[in-house]
Amino acid sequence: MNAFETIIYEKRDGIAYITLNRPKALNAVNIKMRDELYQVLPAIDDDPEVMLAILKGAGDRGFSAGADVTEFGTVPSQAIGRQVRWERDLWGQFLSVSKPLIVAIHGFALGAGVEMSMCCDIRIAAEDARFGLPEVGIGMVPTAGGSQTMPRLVPLGMALAPILTGEIINAAEALRIGLVHQVVPKADLISTAENVAHKIMSRGQIAVRYAKEAIRRGLDLPLEQGLDMESKLIARVLTTEDAKEGIAAYREGRRPRFTFTN
Amino acid sequence: MPYTSVKFERREQLVWLALNRPSVGNTINLQLANELSDACREISQADGVRAVIITGAGESFCSGADLNELASLTTNELIQANPASLASRAVASLNCPVIAAINGDALGAGLELALSCDIRIASENARLGFPETSYGLIPGGGGTQRLPRIVGKGKATELILIAEPIDAGEAHRIGLVTKVVPKEKLVEEAEEIAKRLISRAPIAVRYAKEAVNKGMDMTLEQGLRLEADLSFLLQTTEDRAEGIKAFLEKRTAYFEGE
Repeated sequence: MNAFETIIYEKRDGIAYITLNRPKALNAVNIKMRDELYQVLPAIDDDPEVMLAILKGAGDRGFSAGADVTEFGTVPSQAIGRQVRWERDLWGQFLSVSKPLIVAIHGFALGAGVEMSMCCDIRIAAEDARFGLPEVGIGMVPTAGGSQTMPRLVPLGMALAPILTGEIINAAEALRIGLVHQVVPKADLISTAENVAHKIMSRGQIAVRYAKEAIRRGLDLPLEQGLDMESKLIARVLTTEDAKEGIAAYREGRRPRFTFTN
Repeated sequence: MPYTSVKFERREQLVWLALNRPSVGNTINLQLANELSDACREISQADGVRAVIITGAGESFCSGADLNELASLTTNELIQANPASLASRAVASLNCPVIAAINGDALGAGLELALSCDIRIASENARLGFPETSYGLIPGGGGTQRLPRIVGKGKATELILIAEPIDAGEAHRIGLVTKVVPKEKLVEEAEEIAKRLISRAPIAVRYAKEAVNKGMDMTLEQGLRLEADLSFLLQTTEDRAEGIKAFLEKRTAYFEGE
């Protein structure tokens, strides 16, 4: 049974599936959806049965059209809007999930839609995917972190044009600039995301989370401090049972059997 | 000092360094890391070395850390002297430009070593990647820090979390290597790049390397200030005067490094 109105949360074989579920509104991110995502995201880290999550959009037309324009201008005051933004820091919450987030993108991923995908770790796109940050066209700037996440994900030279022009880029261009990991036929989108998920799930899960943490924290540090942090993390990782098993398996030329799942 | 795990060969202004444990894929153990550190110190202290090329003896560039040895180190030893970290720090400390000539697999600590170089070229057969999470480990020689700075957080996260090696073509496409050549052309191509680097004004090349690397760790304002300061310092060098003179006389400049 689904307890949510605007999203669907499911679990199967260690994978949490979060589906943006307002297909009639092209999965536009309204206040309700932000609330529900904010409610559901901690489950990914808290639930011991979940190893990682796949995020996707319901319906044929796209992943998400971005913020719901019908709610524009409904905030009681800018001061309250700003306060709510940080009291319910959805995008910060996305970025702080310690387990891997894979996002499967088809059709339109605009504004907050593409920004949500940029808070995830691995982006898989269908051939019909269209990405855009149209904010400048309506006198805005990206508001769900896009001006910060995109230049970190892809080289600055690749990020500036989409952000400044607001032009829509297709899947091939997204692949070229490094915004997405892979482009596949639409029919194969979810199975490809699951395939990537299974690869990651076959690795040591403590190592996967530490690696994600090292990358995330490291980009906010000077290189020297980042290297120190990494040295401390690898020293800790090496004390885990998974690392001992991984090294034993390597020596014996067999596949490791990692026991840690959460 | 005699080296056993690395080959050190000086050819005029160029040094060739080869990881030299070909029977074990040039894996990095403490011995190799220490010798690499000594070699880098020797290069820094030597007169007139203007470029370094690092490659691997035999079929691999470097297939990773010596996991058997790694498992035997204590936590403290690892924090103090993780071989992968020692090796990549030693190479990163060189002031002159360093080219990685990736002649085969560059995996784990091997790729980390290549990331500490300034220019990476690869032979067509090379595979590059971070398999660490497959062994329940994470990269420990700067991979989680240097890779995102070089190819962006997006590609770095994919490579490290999915933990599957990519081929040389893909490495070129994502900007991890600047050129891919047939295996038999790799030495020639690396020397060609080194020759070009050596022909430039050596202090200027070193300052440019410093400006790019140090600048990435600064706010833009601070980075611009560093660049301007280095640029003003260069105006006091003989090489700068020679560079301008040669330009006006329409001839090739000859730089003394002074």
